Amino acid sequence: MKQRSKFSQEQQQNAAGEIRQQAVPEFATSDELLRFDASQTAVPPQIAERLKQSAAGLPPPPRPWWKKLFGPR
Amino acid sequence: MNDPVEGVELTNSPATDWPSAEIASLYEEHSRAIYYLSLRFLGDPQKAEDATHDVFLKAFRKLDQFRGESSARTWLYRIAINHCQNLQQSWHNRHVTANSDDAIWETSPARTDSPLRVLETKELGQRIQTALDQLSEEYRLLLLLVADEELSYEQIGTLVGQSTDAVRGKLHRARKTFAALFEKTA
Repeated sequence: MKQRSKFSQEQQQNAAGEIRQQAVPEFATSDELLRFDASQTAVPPQIAERLKQSAAGLPPPPRPWWKKLFGPR
Repeated sequence: MNDPVEGVELTNSPATDWPSAEIASLYEEHSRAIYYLSLRFLGDPQKAEDATHDVFLKAFRKLDQFRGESSARTWLYRIAINHCQNLQQSWHNRHVTANSDDAIWETSPARTDSPLRVLETKELGQRIQTALDQLSEEYRLLLLLVADEELSYEQIGTLVGQSTDAVRGKLHRARKTFAALFEKTA
Protein backbone atom coordinates (compact mmCIF):
# COMPACT_ATOMS: atom_id res chain seq x y z
CA MET A 1 0.00 0.00 0.00
CA LYS A 2 1.35 3.32 -0.92
CA GLN A 3 1.94 5.95 1.68
CA ARG A 4 -0.81 8.46 1.98
CA SER A 5 0.32 12.00 2.30
CA LYS A 6 -0.97 14.22 5.03
CA PHE A 7 0.03 17.42 3.44
CA SER A 8 -1.09 20.55 5.12
CA GLN A 9 -0.61 23.97 3.71
CA GLU A 10 -1.20 27.46 4.91
CA GLN A 11 -2.39 30.01 2.51
CA GLN A 12 -2.07 33.66 3.13
CA GLN A 13 -4.12 35.97 1.04
CA ASN A 14 -3.97 39.69 1.13
CA ALA A 15 -7.02 41.78 1.74
CA ALA A 16 -7.62 42.50 -1.92
CA GLY A 17 -7.34 38.86 -2.74
CA GLU A 18 -5.13 39.65 -5.70
CA ILE A 19 -1.88 38.09 -4.66
CA ARG A 20 -1.76 34.68 -3.19
CA GLN A 21 1.30 33.72 -1.30
CA GLN A 22 1.43 30.15 -0.21
CA ALA A 23 3.65 29.40 2.69
CA VAL A 24 4.59 25.78 2.52
CA PRO A 25 6.77 25.15 5.51
CA GLU A 26 7.67 21.55 5.04
CA PHE A 27 6.95 18.25 3.41
CA ALA A 28 7.52 15.03 5.23
CA THR A 29 8.39 13.05 2.13
CA SER A 30 9.45 13.58 -1.45
CA ASP A 31 6.15 12.01 -2.52
CA GLU A 32 4.24 14.78 -0.78
CA LEU A 33 6.48 17.39 -2.34
CA LEU A 34 5.93 16.05 -5.84
CA ARG A 35 2.20 15.67 -5.30
CA PHE A 36 1.97 19.26 -4.25
CA ASP A 37 4.04 20.28 -7.26
CA ALA A 38 1.75 18.30 -9.55
CA SER A 39 -1.32 19.89 -8.01
CA GLN A 40 0.13 23.33 -8.69
CA THR A 41 1.01 22.55 -12.29
CA ALA A 42 -1.58 23.70 -14.76
CA VAL A 43 -1.89 22.16 -18.19
CA PRO A 44 -1.30 24.83 -20.85
CA PRO A 45 -4.63 25.40 -22.61
CA GLN A 46 -2.95 25.53 -26.00
CA ILE A 47 -2.36 21.77 -25.81
CA ALA A 48 -6.09 21.12 -25.97
CA GLU A 49 -6.47 23.55 -28.83
CA ARG A 50 -3.68 21.90 -30.79
CA LEU A 51 -5.10 18.49 -30.07
CA LYS A 52 -8.56 19.47 -31.22
CA GLN A 53 -7.09 20.61 -34.52
CA SER A 54 -4.93 17.51 -34.85
CA ALA A 55 -7.75 15.17 -33.95
CA ALA A 56 -10.27 16.88 -36.19
CA GLY A 57 -9.21 14.77 -39.12
CA LEU A 58 -9.35 11.52 -37.23
CA PRO A 59 -12.23 9.17 -37.94
CA PRO A 60 -14.53 8.53 -35.00
CA PRO A 61 -12.97 5.84 -32.84
CA PRO A 62 -14.47 2.45 -33.57
CA ARG A 63 -15.86 0.43 -30.73
CA PRO A 64 -13.21 -1.78 -29.14
CA TRP A 65 -13.52 -5.44 -30.11
CA TRP A 66 -14.37 -6.44 -26.55
CA LYS A 67 -17.19 -3.93 -26.45
CA LYS A 68 -18.48 -5.16 -29.76
CA LEU A 69 -18.63 -8.64 -28.29
CA PHE A 70 -19.76 -7.94 -24.74
CA GLY A 71 -20.94 -4.36 -24.68
CA PRO A 72 -24.45 -3.07 -25.07
CA ARG A 73 -25.86 -3.03 -28.55
CA MET B 1 -22.51 8.99 -29.52
CA ASN B 2 -19.55 6.83 -28.72
CA ASP B 3 -19.30 4.93 -25.49
CA PRO B 4 -17.08 6.51 -22.87
CA VAL B 5 -13.71 4.96 -22.22
CA GLU B 6 -13.83 2.41 -19.45
CA GLY B 7 -12.86 4.00 -16.16
CA VAL B 8 -13.25 7.49 -17.48
CA GLU B 9 -16.12 9.57 -16.29
CA LEU B 10 -17.59 12.08 -18.63
CA THR B 11 -17.18 15.57 -17.31
CA ASN B 12 -19.57 18.46 -17.54
CA SER B 13 -17.26 20.31 -19.88
CA PRO B 14 -18.58 20.74 -23.36
CA ALA B 15 -17.01 18.31 -25.76
CA THR B 16 -18.26 20.06 -28.84
CA ASP B 17 -14.84 20.87 -30.22
CA TRP B 18 -13.53 17.36 -29.78
CA PRO B 19 -14.14 14.59 -32.30
CA SER B 20 -16.04 12.62 -29.68
CA ALA B 21 -17.10 12.74 -26.05
CA GLU B 22 -14.89 9.74 -25.45
CA ILE B 23 -11.80 11.64 -26.55
CA ALA B 24 -12.84 14.71 -24.61
CA SER B 25 -13.27 12.78 -21.38
CA LEU B 26 -9.96 11.00 -21.82
CA TYR B 27 -8.16 14.31 -22.12
CA GLU B 28 -10.04 16.06 -19.33
CA GLU B 29 -9.43 13.24 -16.92
CA HIS B 30 -5.77 12.53 -17.54
CA SER B 31 -4.11 15.52 -19.18
CA ARG B 32 -2.72 16.92 -15.93
CA ALA B 33 -1.04 13.64 -14.99
CA ILE B 34 0.45 13.15 -18.44
CA TYR B 35 1.59 16.75 -18.72
CA TYR B 36 3.18 16.70 -15.27
CA LEU B 37 5.06 13.48 -16.00
CA SER B 38 6.27 14.90 -19.31
CA LEU B 39 7.23 18.22 -17.77
CA ARG B 40 9.28 16.85 -14.92
CA PHE B 41 10.70 13.94 -16.88
CA LEU B 42 11.83 16.05 -19.82
CA GLY B 43 12.52 19.20 -17.82
CA ASP B 44 11.30 21.56 -20.50
CA PRO B 45 7.80 23.10 -20.71
CA GLN B 46 7.81 23.32 -24.51
CA LYS B 47 8.93 19.73 -24.90
CA ALA B 48 6.35 18.68 -22.34
CA GLU B 49 3.65 20.49 -24.27
CA ASP B 50 4.66 18.78 -27.50
CA ALA B 51 4.94 15.42 -25.77
CA THR B 52 1.51 15.72 -24.16
CA HIS B 53 -0.01 16.60 -27.52
CA ASP B 54 1.72 13.68 -29.22
CA VAL B 55 0.84 11.20 -26.48
CA PHE B 56 -2.85 12.02 -26.57
CA LEU B 57 -2.96 12.08 -30.35
CA LYS B 58 -1.36 8.65 -30.37
CA ALA B 59 -3.89 7.49 -27.79
CA PHE B 60 -6.80 8.86 -29.82
CA ARG B 61 -5.58 7.00 -32.87
CA LYS B 62 -5.23 3.77 -30.93
CA LEU B 63 -8.36 4.10 -28.89
CA ASP B 64 -9.88 1.05 -30.54
CA GLN B 65 -6.89 -0.99 -29.38
CA PHE B 66 -7.42 -0.09 -25.73
CA ARG B 67 -8.81 -3.29 -24.37
CA GLY B 68 -9.72 -2.17 -20.90
CA GLU B 69 -7.34 -4.64 -19.29
CA SER B 70 -5.60 -1.79 -17.53
CA SER B 71 -6.91 1.56 -16.44
CA ALA B 72 -6.96 4.36 -18.96
CA ARG B 73 -4.43 6.20 -16.77
CA THR B 74 -1.99 3.29 -16.89
CA TRP B 75 -2.46 2.89 -20.62
CA LEU B 76 -1.72 6.59 -21.18
CA TYR B 77 1.29 6.46 -18.88
CA ARG B 78 2.69 3.60 -20.91
CA ILE B 79 2.41 5.63 -24.11
CA ALA B 80 3.87 8.69 -22.38
CA ILE B 81 6.82 6.84 -20.87
CA ASN B 82 7.75 5.29 -24.20
CA HIS B 83 7.40 8.61 -25.94
CA CYS B 84 9.45 10.56 -23.39
CA GLN B 85 12.15 7.91 -23.22
CA ASN B 86 12.47 7.95 -26.99
CA LEU B 87 12.76 11.72 -26.93
CA GLN B 88 15.38 11.63 -24.20
CA GLN B 89 17.36 9.03 -26.05
CA SER B 90 17.39 11.00 -29.27
CA TRP B 91 18.25 14.26 -27.54
CA HIS B 92 20.79 13.09 -25.04
CA ASN B 93 22.34 9.98 -26.46
CA ARG B 94 25.60 11.84 -26.96
CA HIS B 95 25.72 13.11 -23.40
CA VAL B 96 27.00 10.52 -21.00
CA THR B 97 26.61 11.32 -17.33
CA ALA B 98 28.68 9.43 -14.87
CA ASN B 99 26.65 10.38 -11.82
CA SER B 100 25.91 7.60 -9.44
CA ASP B 101 22.58 8.23 -7.82
CA ASP B 102 23.44 6.28 -4.72
CA ALA B 103 26.75 8.05 -4.27
CA ILE B 104 24.96 11.36 -4.11
CA TRP B 105 23.01 10.67 -0.97
CA GLU B 106 25.56 8.38 0.60
CA THR B 107 28.13 11.17 0.64
CA SER B 108 25.77 14.06 1.08
CA PRO B 109 25.89 16.08 4.26
CA ALA B 110 22.25 16.99 3.82
CA ARG B 111 19.91 15.78 6.54
CA THR B 112 17.79 13.54 4.38
CA ASP B 113 15.70 12.36 7.30
CA SER B 114 14.47 15.84 8.01
CA PRO B 115 11.37 17.33 6.45
CA LEU B 116 11.87 18.96 3.10
CA ARG B 117 11.68 22.61 3.85
CA VAL B 118 10.37 25.06 1.36
CA LEU B 119 10.18 28.74 2.09
CA GLU B 120 8.85 30.04 -1.18
CA THR B 121 6.54 28.07 -3.39
CA LYS B 122 7.31 30.20 -6.40
CA GLU B 123 10.73 28.65 -6.69
CA LEU B 124 9.54 25.22 -5.75
CA GLY B 125 9.14 24.00 -9.30
CA GLN B 126 12.62 25.12 -10.26
CA ARG B 127 14.16 23.42 -7.25
CA ILE B 128 12.28 20.21 -7.89
CA GLN B 129 13.33 20.22 -11.53
CA THR B 130 16.96 20.87 -10.62
CA ALA B 131 16.96 17.92 -8.26
CA LEU B 132 15.11 15.63 -10.67
CA ASP B 133 17.46 16.53 -13.51
CA GLN B 134 20.37 15.14 -11.52
CA LEU B 135 18.69 11.82 -10.93
CA SER B 136 18.96 8.87 -13.25
CA GLU B 137 16.07 8.40 -15.65
CA GLU B 138 14.98 5.33 -13.73
CA TYR B 139 14.81 7.07 -10.35
CA ARG B 140 13.16 10.13 -11.83
CA LEU B 141 10.47 8.05 -13.47
CA LEU B 142 9.79 6.03 -10.33
CA LEU B 143 9.40 9.15 -8.20
CA LEU B 144 7.04 10.76 -10.67
CA LEU B 145 4.89 7.66 -10.96
CA VAL B 146 4.65 7.04 -7.23
CA ALA B 147 3.59 10.65 -6.77
CA ASP B 148 0.40 9.74 -8.61
CA GLU B 149 -1.82 8.35 -5.91
CA GLU B 150 -3.95 6.55 -8.48
CA LEU B 151 -1.10 4.14 -9.18
CA SER B 152 -0.26 1.18 -6.99
CA TYR B 153 3.24 -0.24 -6.63
CA GLU B 154 2.07 -3.17 -8.74
CA GLN B 155 0.98 -0.88 -11.55
CA ILE B 156 4.24 1.06 -11.33
CA GLY B 157 6.15 -2.20 -11.51
CA THR B 158 4.24 -3.17 -14.63
CA LEU B 159 4.90 0.20 -16.22
CA VAL B 160 8.64 0.08 -15.60
CA GLY B 161 8.97 -3.66 -16.16
CA GLN B 162 10.09 -4.54 -12.65
CA SER B 163 8.80 -6.52 -9.73
CA THR B 164 6.95 -4.83 -6.92
CA ASP B 165 9.80 -5.59 -4.53
CA ALA B 166 12.32 -4.08 -6.91
CA VAL B 167 10.17 -0.98 -7.21
CA ARG B 168 10.01 -0.63 -3.42
CA GLY B 169 13.76 -0.99 -3.05
CA LYS B 170 14.60 1.42 -5.81
CA LEU B 171 12.05 3.92 -4.60
CA HIS B 172 13.66 3.90 -1.18
CA ARG B 173 16.97 4.87 -2.70
CA ALA B 174 15.39 7.28 -5.16
CA ARG B 175 13.63 9.16 -2.38
CA LYS B 176 16.81 9.50 -0.35
CA THR B 177 18.78 10.65 -3.35
CA PHE B 178 16.12 13.14 -4.35
CA ALA B 179 15.85 14.53 -0.82
CA ALA B 180 19.61 15.04 -0.67
CA LEU B 181 19.66 16.75 -4.04
CA PHE B 182 16.66 18.89 -3.18
CA GLU B 183 18.27 20.11 0.02
CA LYS B 184 21.26 21.21 -2.00
CA THR B 185 19.11 23.42 -4.20
CA ALA B 186 18.18 25.67 -1.27
